[in-house]
Amino acid sequence: MIKKLILVFVLVSSVFAVDATVEIVKKMDKLPKIALQDASINSVDQDFRKKFFKILVGDLRVSSHFNVVDEYMTSSYIGTLEQNFLSELKVDLILRFSVDFEPDGTIIAQVKLLNAKNGQVDSEKIYKISKKNRYPFLAHKIVVELNSKIGAPSIKWMEQFVIFSKYTQSKKSEIVISDYTLSFQKTMVKGGLNIFPKWANKSQNAFYYTSYNGLKPTLYKVSVRDGKRKKIISSSGMLVCSDVSSDGSKLLLTMAPNDQADIYQYDINTKELEKITSYSGIDVNGGFIDNDKRVVFVSDRLGYPNVFAQTIGSKSVEQMVYHGRNNNSVSAFDNYIVYSSREKSSEFGSKTFNLYLISTKTDYIRQLTATGKNLYPRFADDSETIMFIKYYNNESALGIIRLNANKSYHFPLKVGKIQSIDW
Amino acid sequence: MKLLLTSLTLAMLVFTGCSQKNPDVDMTSKDVKSKDTQMNADKKANDLSGMDANNATNNSMNQNNMNTEDNANKISQMIASLENSTNKIYFDFDKYNIREDMESEVKSNARLLNSMNARDFSIKIEGNSDEWGTDEYNYALGLKRAKSVKESLASYGVSKDRVMIVSFGESNPTCTDSNKACWAENRRAEFKLLP
Repeated sequence: MIKKLILVFVLVSSVFAVDATVEIVKKMDKLPKIALQDASINSVDQDFRKKFFKILVGDLRVSSHFNVVDEYMTSSYIGTLEQNFLSELKVDLILRFSVDFEPDGTIIAQVKLLNAKNGQVDSEKIYKISKKNRYPFLAHKIVVELNSKIGAPSIKWMEQFVIFSKYTQSKKSEIVISDYTLSFQKTMVKGGLNIFPKWANKSQNAFYYTSYNGLKPTLYKVSVRDGKRKKIISSSGMLVCSDVSSDGSKLLLTMAPNDQADIYQYDINTKELEKITSYSGIDVNGGFIDNDKRVVFVSDRLGYPNVFAQTIGSKSVEQMVYHGRNNNSVSAFDNYIVYSSREKSSEFGSKTFNLYLISTKTDYIRQLTATGKNLYPRFADDSETIMFIKYYNNESALGIIRLNANKSYHFPLKVGKIQSIDW
Repeated sequence: MKLLLTSLTLAMLVFTGCSQKNPDVDMTSKDVKSKDTQMNADKKANDLSGMDANNATNNSMNQNNMNTEDNANKISQMIASLENSTNKIYFDFDKYNIREDMESEVKSNARLLNSMNARDFSIKIEGNSDEWGTDEYNYALGLKRAKSVKESLASYGVSKDRVMIVSFGESNPTCTDSNKACWAENRRAEFKLLP
């Protein structure tokens, strides 16, 4: 059964591997149908069990690799005949979980995957996480492994930390680490204006951010484990760390040491600062591409914000986007570029800023969003998933786009306004 | 009655007599004592003088502190008054050039900033944007706005050496309504003075 599912996914993936800019028109109905059962003992808090269930269902849905039964069901851990088949629902798989707490507060989850066609246990595993409020990461891990088990394309990004800053009031913002659903949140920096956080490396054990609390905007590096921070560099005017090279040794900074915002490359080991752009207008939002040898960035050198690329060390600049009137934020992965664009010449409106995807190898442009104000796109560590900020009905939310499934999901931030994000 | 009067008279005589009677003092001791007294007095005088001096210094320091505090308050008040008198400079959507209708505001600010009350202060121009667009671009846009104002002030005689610029992007709105009037109000440069 599992092997059949793997085969289906290989076939499906090979169709979509062609070009993500080609919009999926045909709806896939071959996704494995999965139901979830809560087999936790009654003494475990019901609210907690339902919250855990909700994250599991949400993850399975967002993966877009499953047809998920929403209904909350309970069962025994061994399961009756009826519970092991759920014949009325005609499911392919059953994910049965039992959560409990150890005396020191550790959450322990026993998880079974059943083949609903023959009622047999396909796999069983125990998961643990040390603190109750980290339960979303426990749920994400279960789904990431289940997804991998059935041979679906990786969704490892679900386990990653997201880091974002949020405005709490005028000239005040905090830096928060969360999961992608915002169910887990931990404030890392507060007090004054702290903005543009950026992960320092793939292991996410440190991050950079800009503080406006001193004489000049200053970039700091913070260790996640002990909260210790170290000053990296200051600049008058403004200072943003837009990107970090894959080995973590180089930063792309937007800074304005002489009242002029340009993109610089900073080597954190040698402390060497190299000016990349030299246009007298606005150059911001630099991102490494092509093995960190080139930089994609936003510039208003044509009279409006647009996307360009430049090889580090060379002066020649290539225009990358030929559509839109205001393309003010960009992210790149392999040969794909996603950007936030205002199409209309009219300045304001509810559908004004949308996300678009282009490939450097084709002429197609694919629109990814249609409503609200959609900004700050960021590719995951793969080309299938994009995170972004969505503003809609006076609320800000973290958005996730799953390109192959042509689906978009939003997780609202209940307090504050998201300023910038990274993962 | 006679007895009482007599007792009182005797008491008066005794006390009067006691006050007039010179003590029988050893001269040597007196000298020593007088030296000691003198030393003590010196010491005391020194102490006193020291204390007096300290008191004088403290007094003068306290006086100075009070003066400094007074001055600081006066400066703060002056700065607040001058800042309130400056005109905010407003900008069009996505733009950072000085509008025609803002030229007179910049000129008026230049006159104020070069006036006798203001000319010893440094100037910080804060650039701001509305909430539209991504914040990193908006920080750069705010900075360009502040720079435009700095250049314009220079053309009206305000030395660039006095002026520093900073951008707050969309972090510092004066209003949060979702309408054109509020967005226009947020697209601005503001002035702060520094002693």
